[in-house]
Order: sequence, then C-alpha cells, then structure tokens
Amino acid sequence: MTNDKTILLGAVAYDPKVVTIWEGMREHFHEQGVSMDFALFSNYERQVEELLSGHIDVAWNTPLAHVRVKQQTHGESLSLGMRDSDRDFRAKVLVRRDSGIKSLKDLEERILAVGSLDSTQARILPLYFLAKEGIDLSRVTLLPFDTDLGKHGDTGTSEIEVLKALQEGLADAGTVGDLIWVNEQAAGHIDASRIEVFWTTPGFDHCMFDGNPGLSPEKTEGFRRALMAMRWDNQKHRRLLELEGLREWLPPREDGYRSLEEALKQRYQNEH
Amino acid sequence: MSTEVSVIAVDGGELQLGGGLLALVRPALDELEPGGMLAVLSRSSSVREDLPSWCRAQRHEYLGVEEIANNLDRHLIVRGAFSVPRGTNTNNGLLRPGSGNLNAADVGDAALPPSRADPSTGFAPHGARVEPGGPSYPFTLNERDHVAPSEVTTLYEQAVNGQWDATADIQWSKVRPLPDALESALVQIMTFLAENELSALYVPSRFIARIHPTFAEVAMFLATQLADEARHIDVFLKRARLCGRGLGISSVVTSRSLLSLMQQEDFTEATFLLSVLGEGTFLDLLSFIERYAPDEPTAELVRRARNDESRHVHFGLAHVRSGLATDPTLYSRLEAAVRKRAAVLHGVGGVPAPLQDALTTLAAGGAEPRAIARGHESFRQLLETMHISRIRRLGHAGFTPDQAEMISELHTPNFM
Repeated sequence: MTNDKTILLGAVAYDPKVVTIWEGMREHFHEQGVSMDFALFSNYERQVEELLSGHIDVAWNTPLAHVRVKQQTHGESLSLGMRDSDRDFRAKVLVRRDSGIKSLKDLEERILAVGSLDSTQARILPLYFLAKEGIDLSRVTLLPFDTDLGKHGDTGTSEIEVLKALQEGLADAGTVGDLIWVNEQAAGHIDASRIEVFWTTPGFDHCMFDGNPGLSPEKTEGFRRALMAMRWDNQKHRRLLELEGLREWLPPREDGYRSLEEALKQRYQNEH
Repeated sequence: MSTEVSVIAVDGGELQLGGGLLALVRPALDELEPGGMLAVLSRSSSVREDLPSWCRAQRHEYLGVEEIANNLDRHLIVRGAFSVPRGTNTNNGLLRPGSGNLNAADVGDAALPPSRADPSTGFAPHGARVEPGGPSYPFTLNERDHVAPSEVTTLYEQAVNGQWDATADIQWSKVRPLPDALESALVQIMTFLAENELSALYVPSRFIARIHPTFAEVAMFLATQLADEARHIDVFLKRARLCGRGLGISSVVTSRSLLSLMQQEDFTEATFLLSVLGEGTFLDLLSFIERYAPDEPTAELVRRARNDESRHVHFGLAHVRSGLATDPTLYSRLEAAVRKRAAVLHGVGGVPAPLQDALTTLAAGGAEPRAIARGHESFRQLLETMHISRIRRLGHAGFTPDQAEMISELHTPNFM
C-alpha cells in the first residue's frame, strides 16, 4: 500500500492518448482537492500484480483483469466506478452475406474470425456464449487475430482485423464488440452489402476501477467523488470523457461479470 | 415540425443501421426533448441486432421491438439526456423579404443579439443550437453595448452598396500633366493620404478577431471598412504615380502619430481615436483637397474616398455614443486615451511640413507668391474648420462643449 496521501493509479498504455487522459484526470482530481498520480504499465498482468502487491492503490482494469483481481482478493478488492459504456456490453457475431449461414449451428465447419486471446468482447465471451447456445466449438475453424496480447483487446486492432477478414472473404463469420461494430457502421466503414450482423450475445459489463483491499476510506471516498464530478457539458471534462469513451461515470456493479467468471472457469477446466 | 414533440415515428423501410438508417433516426431523435419517444418502423432483421447497440453507444434507451405486421418491426427508443438542447428562443428568425430585397437590417431584426455573448459558442452563427461542452474561444469583445451599435446593420448595408472600383470608376485617362510645383504638391498629398489610410487598414483589423461572432455584423462592417481603405490606398498611389516622379516624404510626425494609434489596445478607444477624431478630421481634409483638385479625376477619387470615410465616422460616432450611454466610465477613459496619445506626440511639432506646404501650394494652384498667400490663408482656415467640426462631432457623440474643446485641441497635428 502506498502510504502518502496521493492516490497512485495504474493504467495500461495501450495508446499514446492514455498519457493525455491521465494527465488531464490528474489535473481534474487536483481541482477536486484529491491528490492523484498515475503509473503506466505495458500489460494488465503486470498492473494486476502491482495492485495486489500494494504498489499502486487503484487499477483501471479490463473485465478480465477485474475478474482476476476479484478472484485473487477473494472478493475483498474495492470496485470504485465504471463508464456508462461499460454496462451491458455485448458481442456480435457477424457473417458474410454470401456465407450461406442461416443458423448459429451453421457456424460449425465454417471459418470464424475472432479477436485476441485476451479480448473479452471479441474472443472470450462470444465463444463462451456460442458454446452455451450449443455450438460445438471444436468443429468451428477459428481464425484468430492475437494482436496486442496483454492489452486485453483495448487497442481494438484485433476487432479491426476481424472486420477486414470478413470484408476480404478470409472468414465466413467473425466476432467483435458491439461498440466497434455500430461505430464502424455509423462512420460508413462497413459495406453492408457484404457483412451483416447475425447474432448478439447477452449483455456483460466491461472495465472497472479496482481498489486495493486496504485502500483507506479517505482515498476511496476522494477517488469516487472526483470521478463522479466529471460532466459531459464541461469542456475540459468532455475532452477527457471523449478520449476515454464515455459520457458519464457510474457506480460499480458486479453482476455483469458473472458470465466472464464462468467462461474463465470453463477455460481453466478445459486446459487442465 | 413543432419543437415540442413527445412521440414521433420514422419508417426505415429495409434500411440497415450501417446502410443509411441513421440518417432517418438521428434527425428524428433530434426533434425530441430528452425523454421523448421515437418509433422506428423497419423491415430489416439486422436492425433488431444493431439498433439496441447503437442506442447503448449513444445513451438512448432502447425499449424493445414488436412485430406489428408480417415482417414489419416497430422499435421504440427514448431520447437520452445527452443531446443538443432545443433552445428556448421564441424568436424563430423568420425572414420576410420586403420589396424583393433582403437587407442586413431585416436579418438583424429577425435575430436580435443578446447583450452578452457566450465565449463557448465560438464561431457558431448567432441563433445556432450550440452543443454544450465545446471549447472556449479567446474573444474579448463579448458585450453588445461595447461592440455593436444598433446602426451597424444599416451602415453595413450602405457600405455594401457604396463599394466602387478603383480601376474603372475613375476616369484616369483624363489626368493631364500639371505645372511642376502643383504636381509635386499633389504627389506629397497622395503619399500622405496613402500612408494614413494604411494605418486605417491595419488598426481595425487588430480588433476584428477579438469581436465575438455573435456580433458578426460589426466584424462584417469593419471588413467593408478595410475594403474601403484598401481601395483608397490604391487610388491615392495610382494618382501619385501618374505624375511620374515617385512618391513624396513620409515624416516622423506622421510615423509617430500612426504608431500611437496602432498601439491602442482597447476597441472603443481605438475607434474613437481613429474614426471619430482621425477620419472625422480627414473629412475636412478631403473636402479641402477636392475643392482645390487640379483635375476632375482627382476631385472624383477624393470625393468617393470622403463618402466612404463618412461611413466610418458614422460607425465610430454610433459606437462611442452607445458606449457612453451605458458606461459612465467611458468619458474619462476616452479623455485619458487622447491625453496619453498627446503626451507621446508632445513636442513633435505641428502639421508635417511637407504636407502643410503641399496643401498650401495646392490651394494656391501654383507657386506664384500672391497665390501662395491665399493658399496659406486657406490652409489656416482648414485647421480652424477641422477644429470646429471636431467639436461639433464630439458634441454629437455625447461630450460637453468644454470636454469637446479640450479633446479637439489635443488631437494629433497629423490629423489621423
């Protein structure tokens, strides 16, 4: 545990903008009377380790990292807040219109493009939910794009690769997160005559600020207060919110991680 | 469509979300206040998958879908809180062309600017629905009473109608060679006018970028003023160069005077010094030159320039008058600005000698001594006329006779 009054936050530097975001957040926290500094990591595994060992107070975690922190602290870690966009995330199964896929079962014996091994939205949960729908994944030929491992899909590169593979006909179907799918469509980047959405997974929650179990009440309260004080219609806040991909910070909730916990348990069992 | 709609519907046909559906959905949602409901009719099955995700991304609430007929879905969406406000402006800005024309005053009447502009509306035209959370702009002239006199739209309209062509509107071919002394005098006068008009081009331009775009008509009027000055510089230099003997002298008196004008940091003070005092004084100077002009093209170009200048003086007077009416500290600020400038120019001498001699020779019509005596008397009367006009103009602006007398006495010997 860091013992001075400054909250030390960890974030993964998946993009240069992460520096801009946390410099701005540090300034905002300071304006709110909350001393905060940050440390950047290259991957979530290291960040989780440093949170658990008390070198940092708070970690801005992906769902995968959040679930691991919860498991390793036996539920004692403090969930401090999440983005509005982290709630009710979904994954999409997209198909090529010429693939002839008419039902989920048709995915068997086809090529399914999937995102990075550690991407919750583009790999772990879509496969988990497909298996739950009765698809025999051992009969599906996966075309994986394991880019930026350790970043848990934050960079979105593997999802872009999935979309590209679909456009180019390298795969019959593919899995991506819902935000990238609607945003790419809204931006006019998707050829709707070639690709269409076929299925949507149930909802799940995404990133979370995880606090070390021993985080002091002052730091906990200060962190939450400063975070929740950000407003979309404030020009300085808005720039940071846009970069971080949200409109407002929301209180934490845990139910949205059950499917991921289950999926990780199954993966563990399959591997052992 | 009314702005107070609580439920509306759009028919999306077979459009997919990424195939154009949003071009119907987004404008329809924009008609709603937060909490209002939109029904989207759709015959596309993929919309069932995509619309909820899009709503999530945009923070609208997706209520669900119902198949209301064979293959026809009805999706219900509640407008989210993150939207560009509809605004409460009851003035709908409807323009009604009068006799076929649509002038600036009609536009001004339809969208009266607020007394104070919001720096975060940036370059948004006044009346636009401005999305909250935009950056703050560094405009410093944000108060109507300190920027925009009500006469500005009329003056802008007059300025637009009053534009003329420095190339074609003067009968340059009628310019004939003049006696030596007269030609030298004319070159000197034109050089002086061009130098001063250059300052009149630069000084307002420093303030245009500081004016909040809500008062864009002031910036637009000043743009016409800049175009006027550019044209004047053009005609004065053309007239000088037609003499074929180069240009005249630029005096230190003129240079110091114009620098002190250029260094004004306050829009109202600068406008007062430039337009009310400087260009006001130039009206009498230009009348003088026109009266003694040696040929018709010269008289014509000076007459046209004077017409333009009188608009600038009108704007300056209106601007200062509106400021004086609302800001009791302005009298003393303007007086202080005049005193400060006079202090900078203290001891530089009177009217620049090359100009004084040139005006005397021009009024004399040549170098013959008895004519020069008359020319000298005319010049002396010009100074008196300028002083009297300044006092009258200052009275119009709202100064007492004593203040006007004192300010006029302190005005620069350079005229501008």
